[in-house]
Amino acid sequence: MKRIVLILLVIIILAVGWYAYRAYTGKVKSLTEVKTDVKINAKELIAAFEKDSAAANKQYLGKVMEVTGNVKSVEKEEGSATVSLGESGAMSSVRCSMDTTYVQEAANIQEGNSITVKGACTGFMSEELLGSDVILNRCIVVTGKK
Amino acid sequence: MRNKLFLAISFILMTVFAQAQDKFFTKSGKINFYSVAPLEDIEAKHKSAVAVLDTKNGTLQFSALIKGFEFENEEMQQHFNEDYMESDKFPKSEFKGQVVNNAAVNYQKPGTYPIQVKGALTIRGVTKEVQTPGTIKVDGDGVKAAATFNVQVADYNIKIPSLVKDKVAKTVKITVDTKLDPLN
Repeated sequence: MKRIVLILLVIIILAVGWYAYRAYTGKVKSLTEVKTDVKINAKELIAAFEKDSAAANKQYLGKVMEVTGNVKSVEKEEGSATVSLGESGAMSSVRCSMDTTYVQEAANIQEGNSITVKGACTGFMSEELLGSDVILNRCIVVTGKK
Repeated sequence: MRNKLFLAISFILMTVFAQAQDKFFTKSGKINFYSVAPLEDIEAKHKSAVAVLDTKNGTLQFSALIKGFEFENEEMQQHFNEDYMESDKFPKSEFKGQVVNNAAVNYQKPGTYPIQVKGALTIRGVTKEVQTPGTIKVDGDGVKAAATFNVQVADYNIKIPSLVKDKVAKTVKITVDTKLDPLN
């Protein structure tokens, strides 16, 4: 009787373990665990896209990059936060949409400080009235935390 | 003379100001993507959509970078980008259109207004005319615009391998939810 219980227990533990393992490995990894492809400063990154967006797309699209720049603004909304890096007064910036696990932390980022943000480059948005932005997604703050 | 100049300047300032009040925008619009299929429901979220609404004539446009869609599952995100959307080749999707019943929306008066949105939806480089319902909500915070699109996957030449045909729905639901600020 004891033996059956033991065997059942082992089977259950293995099943749960397997399920947890699958659930964990299947998830999109946090960028803290992903290797950085490119290190660049915000000004250079913006310039590359403004000069030739097709070429810059080829070079940077989907890449995990660490971008250093001046914090222009921090926008907070329910459940999301966006940090803009770049020259103050300029129409263009690098917009970093923060990872959901970093939204709280984003509240501590100070405008005017220089910080390094790690994020996945999703591309370039250029609108006539709104200026142009390089977009980083699932961002985490590497340095410049308060 | 001085008076006239003053008048002229205030008139110019007023028109500039009035114009600035007509247009509303966001760069952090939310888009949700739902595919409901017998075997598996798939959901993705986007938080960086750009939207511009001209309240004067009802012109509405928004755009989003395909790579900005976040999935729970890494494999799904990969399939979505590489196989279905080819996001390296077609990085952006956009909608350019019109609030058909813009006259029925009072942007000065708080309330929720049902709208019809009509225009050109571009996905994966293919543009189709679409019409869909939505709402505009005016409150103390500003203007919120939302719309729901039911997109036929086949309309946009999105090929689904026969192996996963039952896994992926033929129609996906895309909801757009934006909180707009005055553009100035």
